[in-house]
Amino acid sequence: MFLHNLFYELKSSLRAKELIIWLMIFPIILGTFFKIAFGDLYDKQTKMDTIKTAVVGIENDPNFRTVIEQIEQEDEPLLKAEYLDEEKALEKLANGDVTGVIYAGDDMSLTVSDTGIEQSVLRVFIQQYSTKAGIIKETLASDPSKLGEVTKALMADASPNHAEPLTKGNTDFYIEYMYNLIAMVAMYGSITGLHIAVGNQANLSPLGARKCCSPTPKALSTLAGIIGSWLVQAVCMVICVSFTAFVLKTDYGKNLPYVYLAAILGGITGVSMGFFVGSIGRMKNSMKVAICMTGSMLCCFLSGLMMGNIKGWIAMKFPVFNNLNPAALVADSISSLNLYTGHERYFTKLMYMCGISAVFITLGLILTRRRKYADL
Amino acid sequence: MANSVVKIDNIVKRYGELLALDHFSLDIKEGEVFGLLGPNGSGKTTTINCLLSLLAYDKGDIEIFGKKMTPVSYDIKKKIGIIMQNVAVFDELTVYENIDYFCGLYINDKKLRKQYVEDAINFVGLGDFRKFYPKKLSGGLLRRLNIACGIAHKPKLIILDEPTVAVDPQSRNKILEGIESLNRDGATIIYTSHYMEEVEQLCTRIAIMDKGKKIAEGSKDELKRMIKNTETVTVEVLGLTQSMLDELSALPHVYDVKYDGQKAVISCSGGKHNLIRILDTLQKKEVSFGRVYSELPTLNDVFLEITGKALRDKED
Ligand SMILES: Nc1ncnc2c1ncn2[C@@H]1O[C@H](COP(=O)(O)OP(=O)(O)OP(=O)(O)O)[C@@H](O)[C@H]1O
Ligand SMILES: [Mg+2]
Repeated sequence: MFLHNLFYELKSSLRAKELIIWLMIFPIILGTFFKIAFGDLYDKQTKMDTIKTAVVGIENDPNFRTVIEQIEQEDEPLLKAEYLDEEKALEKLANGDVTGVIYAGDDMSLTVSDTGIEQSVLRVFIQQYSTKAGIIKETLASDPSKLGEVTKALMADASPNHAEPLTKGNTDFYIEYMYNLIAMVAMYGSITGLHIAVGNQANLSPLGARKCCSPTPKALSTLAGIIGSWLVQAVCMVICVSFTAFVLKTDYGKNLPYVYLAAILGGITGVSMGFFVGSIGRMKNSMKVAICMTGSMLCCFLSGLMMGNIKGWIAMKFPVFNNLNPAALVADSISSLNLYTGHERYFTKLMYMCGISAVFITLGLILTRRRKYADL
Repeated sequence: MANSVVKIDNIVKRYGELLALDHFSLDIKEGEVFGLLGPNGSGKTTTINCLLSLLAYDKGDIEIFGKKMTPVSYDIKKKIGIIMQNVAVFDELTVYENIDYFCGLYINDKKLRKQYVEDAINFVGLGDFRKFYPKKLSGGLLRRLNIACGIAHKPKLIILDEPTVAVDPQSRNKILEGIESLNRDGATIIYTSHYMEEVEQLCTRIAIMDKGKKIAEGSKDELKRMIKNTETVTVEVLGLTQSMLDELSALPHVYDVKYDGQKAVISCSGGKHNLIRILDTLQKKEVSFGRVYSELPTLNDVFLEITGKALRDKED
């Protein structure tokens, strides 16, 4: 009975070509664009040297100096600063001796004479410094010896777009976008999960009503449906990761199996989320699809698909949220492979995904447990 | 007396303010082809859905095969075949796969199921279409697929909710013949429709419903005997005067005369030779008339007489 349901569930979902193709094609197109747009930059960036920078008005913000000194101690420092007055600094900028001029102080700003990867890195760097100045100040005040650790942690948590090599993993400039892309495909699994909820509920679809008239218990056909969608979504995720790895040549190094695992689990989370949305109340199907799509996009947005640094900002303001946002979990778990040597953080993120899926499925099953309806 | 297969006892079903079933009762015996006839919105589908325990009802009891029907009465559900008003099939599965899927919800044994699916395909005549997807089927073929999905597991009780809506007369006849043969093979049938011809042709017993109430029940002859109309004579005739109409009304057994300037519709109750008497009267007055026809009462007349309105529009 269960296998019969599962078999036909798989068969029908694999044949719902338009759905799958669109869920896959959009991210693939997007990924290709990323590659075209940023891939070139990446090639330059891997050979990127320490960025020469001039800092003006360092007396306004002594902490900044401490942070920079800390960075300069690293093996391959992100930047090397000279402390100059404005006139000298601008002269060096004009001569191309430095890439940018940072004005330290409460209102930090950056002046550059060109656009490019190094300039962007500087911009991101001072943005992050500004946002995190508070925390850094506190550390300095309480225990300056911890500063190194704290800066490192902050940078990592924000998944910054810079090339500071914390470990020997890949730190592409655009690779974060690829991670987010994988997260997006995972989130789109919500659409298939939604169909399962709708297709098994007598008050949501004629098919659901018809199934409810049969001697196959609803819980059984629903579970078969969920597991079927998980499998189908897992296949989608494998295709998606393979595409980024082998066609777009994103270099995951020896972490590739972990990337597959995180992506598959992300897909499962996406399906579970959709199943939950499908189970809540009676709305028009199109309404639920809209909720799923918007929800997925919102998760991706908040995880940094459109704006790279939004996740850092959230990490600052609502640290819990990144552990509740499935898209951020997928992207973070993969990027943690590059940023940390151990897999502890990676597996923590995976645990969160499992937890979220379990909650969604349980809530969905509770919501659909009813067997008789007031109206159809 | 045959056993009761379905017993609906005084059920009341409300959708908010709307009273959809108003103390509705039915007792359907084994081997019957039971017709549930009523205009749109009279509560046929609601009755079926309550019967299947899909809908919660406010009052009353429902028994099927002598046992109380609940959503978890899987042993009862096993013996029911349901063809819903809304076609419920998977768009992504072929004709064969759809039937196999639904049959598999009832029958575990693979070999037996294969046989049953083949039987169902032959039964609805979809042999040439087994690899077709539902989207490629015409409306009538799709309805036939819907039926095949409902009956493939050879149920003892088959419920069909308006299976012939939007089906051309040829397909419709095929469907009706099929239902008759299912009945001959021993299945009890519940058939809802607002097409009275179908119900007259097919059903051994009929309940007429309106606004959630059962307004009459019996075999078609019993139903027709309930009303006073026994014959309706229609005469195509131009320029009848009021005095002529009065004279027709005064004829024995005539209880109603309607005239719209082109057609006189004369309703009679009992008696013999009504047609001859009417034509005699017209001839004596040297009125020339066109086509003349006499009709025996239909279920529509029954409905008309009990509720004061037609079962449905003529052109429907
Ligand atoms: N889900 C619902 N919510 C509110 N009212 C409903 C609902 N379903 C049906 N009704 C109302 O209940 C009444 C009976 O509807 P039902 O569908 O049982 O009629 P029916 O006899 O099957 O009609 P049809 O011939 O059109 O199929 C109608 O007045 C209808 O408007
Ligand atoms: Mg109906």
